[in-house]
Amino acid sequence: MNAHLRRTFYLLAMGFVALVGVLAYWQVYMRESLVNNPANALQSQRARETPRGLILAGDGETVLARSERVGEESYRRVYPEGEVFANVVGYWSSRFGANGIEIGQNNNLSSTDEPETLDELINQVTGGREAGNNVTLTLDPELQRLAHEKLANSNTGRGSVVALNPQTGEILAMATYPSFDPNNIDEDLPELSEDPDAPLVNRATQSLYPPGSTFKVITSAAALRAGVTPEDKFDDDGTYETPGYTVHNYMGRDYGELTFAEALVFSVNTIFSKIAVERIGPERLAEQAFEFGFGDAYEDFPLPVAPSSLGLAPEEWAKGNTAPISFGQDRVLTNVFEMALVAGAVGNGGDLMEPRIVREVRSPDGIILDRPTASVRNEAVPPDTAATLNDMMQRVIEDGELVGAQIEGIEVAGKTGTAENAAGEPHSWFVSYVPADDPEIAVAVMIENGGIIREDGSAETPAITIAGNLMRAYLNRPAPTAEPEQPPRAPGVPGDLPGEAPVQPPAQPPAQQQPFQGAPFQNPAQQQQQFGQHPAQAPAQPPAQQAPNQYPGG
Amino acid sequence: MTQRATIPMIIALLVTTVGFATMIFTQEANGPPLIYGAYYAGTMVALYLGVRLWLPHSDALLVAVVTLLTGVGLVMIYRLTFDVPGVENLATTQAGWILVGAGALVFTVIFFRNYHRLFDYKYLLALAAVALIASTFTPLGFEVNGARLWLAVGPITFQPSEFARIALVIFFAGYLAEKRDVLAATSSSFLGVQIPALKYFGPVALVWAASLGLLVFEKDLGSSLLFFAVPLLMLYAATGRIAYVILGTMLFSVGSLLTYSLFDHVQVRVQSWLDPWSYPDTAGFQILQSLFSISDGGLTGAGLGEGFAQAIPEVETDFVFSAIAAELGLLGATALLLAFLVFVYRGTKIALLAGDDASKLLAFGLTTMFAIQTLIIVGGVTKAIPLTGITLPFVSYGGSSVVGNFIITALLLVVAEEAGKRVEDEEEAYEGDGRVTA
Repeated sequence: MNAHLRRTFYLLAMGFVALVGVLAYWQVYMRESLVNNPANALQSQRARETPRGLILAGDGETVLARSERVGEESYRRVYPEGEVFANVVGYWSSRFGANGIEIGQNNNLSSTDEPETLDELINQVTGGREAGNNVTLTLDPELQRLAHEKLANSNTGRGSVVALNPQTGEILAMATYPSFDPNNIDEDLPELSEDPDAPLVNRATQSLYPPGSTFKVITSAAALRAGVTPEDKFDDDGTYETPGYTVHNYMGRDYGELTFAEALVFSVNTIFSKIAVERIGPERLAEQAFEFGFGDAYEDFPLPVAPSSLGLAPEEWAKGNTAPISFGQDRVLTNVFEMALVAGAVGNGGDLMEPRIVREVRSPDGIILDRPTASVRNEAVPPDTAATLNDMMQRVIEDGELVGAQIEGIEVAGKTGTAENAAGEPHSWFVSYVPADDPEIAVAVMIENGGIIREDGSAETPAITIAGNLMRAYLNRPAPTAEPEQPPRAPGVPGDLPGEAPVQPPAQPPAQQQPFQGAPFQNPAQQQQQFGQHPAQAPAQPPAQQAPNQYPGG
Repeated sequence: MTQRATIPMIIALLVTTVGFATMIFTQEANGPPLIYGAYYAGTMVALYLGVRLWLPHSDALLVAVVTLLTGVGLVMIYRLTFDVPGVENLATTQAGWILVGAGALVFTVIFFRNYHRLFDYKYLLALAAVALIASTFTPLGFEVNGARLWLAVGPITFQPSEFARIALVIFFAGYLAEKRDVLAATSSSFLGVQIPALKYFGPVALVWAASLGLLVFEKDLGSSLLFFAVPLLMLYAATGRIAYVILGTMLFSVGSLLTYSLFDHVQVRVQSWLDPWSYPDTAGFQILQSLFSISDGGLTGAGLGEGFAQAIPEVETDFVFSAIAAELGLLGATALLLAFLVFVYRGTKIALLAGDDASKLLAFGLTTMFAIQTLIIVGGVTKAIPLTGITLPFVSYGGSSVVGNFIITALLLVVAEEAGKRVEDEEEAYEGDGRVTA
């Protein structure tokens, strides 16, 4: 009989082992999906009862978000810096879910994660009320405040700034205006979501805009790799014709013979169209844009990034598309974050660094749990091409006499843009990095509909002045002369920004201004389910393709 | 068989103490009157010393495992019910039941040290078991949560099935030991399976069917499963014929289909097992809350007092394991399952070493019942099998269950005492022989 007893015991023991397997299935394998199940109310219960971790700025001292005890076992979230950091930090609402870093780093902040230190384990096993981990961001609080202030005082009051360290990928500032005060989000959110200026949208990462002539940085990189040299000469007669589409320089201006480098300085659309159509070709131009990060949603970045896009796939481009794409029009759409990365990559010898906004994660008692290190995301261009392009972009600032962006004793590299769009006045762009030979900061600035067109047809780009201010403040260096409010007009060129947009009536009546299609909040219930993720930003409507339109340069 | 288990005893009491200390100090819970803790610890230590003293050949490790299980159960029941508004404090009641259970254990050991007497009354015990189960249909019985399992005699209420099942195991052990030879031999066949003559198999089938049928009508699905599986495994152990298991499983399938089509409550149970997500607020609510709590625990648990297992209805009885998994995590829950497995292992060892068939089958039957009960309820709350309400031995709140399990432990201890003595005598005889030849 003993053999039967043993066999039965083995059977029962197998049953116990199977139960451990079932437990492991629920507690380890299925844990994540069950925790996030909408029918599961345990997490929101815990969230109210447990203090979340701090969110700190890059100096490790400026508190951006903390949990404040309001009752016996209840906490609320306080944001001491208010609207300055709101679009990065986001909000944590008991009614409307969460947004920004609050949700992007929720695993750290809410400490639903497994314990990572012995102290945490002991704490957890013995049941201590355990606070979330503290997240320190890379943001420079001074630079962020300055960026916020400059955007608030810009001519249209709508725009965005992204500043980053090109050599490490650390985001130094990410501002967007208008913004919101996250401290009263439970009451304010319904009204904020109705606001036509869309203060809840992070314009730096979630909104897409035509990049205009800042895209010529990418086209130039592709051109250099296709064998064009900066001294190659091109003849401009004021127009460039492709089947069904003709590119004009603004006001029919005819530059005559220019080198490629000069074409970038004067931002000559006809020459770039010619090079793109005849020397680069759609595939190589698109490939270069993708290598700079177009089409990339930067999944590992804690904030949602709307991928930049070229519109159609390159094999579907007609020559009539290739030409305007070369100067950032047609259906090209990007965001400020992406353009800052593009400028940074050129400055960093062609290596596009992995963008990072979290410097470190610490347990409540100060033990470092995570400290990401700098890594190269992609080699966007080879080092020699990057060096050549770097020289060309320095000439844009120097020869173009963009005084607003110049700094005493330091070479700045950059590129302006004035982007036609269906929503109204052109967007004002500027991308730059400094010092050009060993960059510490790259800045991209975009002022929505901020391109000011003067009566004589010349354009002013307020983005330049803002970028210049930020770079000087970061490096603690003065302007070459006293900082001019309006850069002096350079003699011999028709505007202070050669090649900037003339008044050009849009081919079609301007579409109703709706740069933020897709209301950020349909209703609170839906919002709750999505847990604060804004619905993907619908790309702003691009200008009609193939319209016999004359895009401005710049 | 002789087992010193002083260190396991100390560990078990220490675990319980740390559990209570955690609740009292870090959760700032109001401590229960310390006298209850003293009663509990004193009872278990006295039991251990008593077993060492009066059952020197028995298996004292069983007492250590029982101490650990009842201790963990007490901590969890305390955590789930003490000072919770709107919930009756059950921890002190449970401590009282443990005291009663310990008394029942001592009583059983004293009166049935010679447990062979029990086998003489096996038919009477079988009759008593069936009568006990049927007694809930009398006016004394009453329903709780739709199942008619309870009996009220004066101020005392109890679940007769918790005691009936012990009587049934004694009956099956006694009867199968007596008839195992004739049961193993076959005389006719049914559906191609060789079965023994009806006159030998009859009493087994009768008692089995009667108890099962009654429980099904009482809607006690957990006990039905237990009462089905245990006699079948005892029959297999006694005869060694796997055909019984196959035949039994076939019968089980037919019976399950029949009950499924006959009873609404069975259909609800099965549906809420197959697809609880379709009824998250009704039929699936309990199992889903259980799964949420269990997954919330993760590897190391939310920490004692940090889980939200109160959201599960019946958490202190049938779902106490979910609360443990939530607060102590995969590691803690696995440790607890291992403690159960140690009990099952020691029980099996007692059965292996017992000197006669009836003792073997008794120890085996009790151990198997203990093991299967654990598997049924833990499998149920983790959605591995359909949920059937049954207690987790020693851990769940419940007087009848605790007392019944102490009686099971008592019977295992007396069987172990005899087996241990026999083994020791044999060893001495062997050593004696050795000296003679040397």
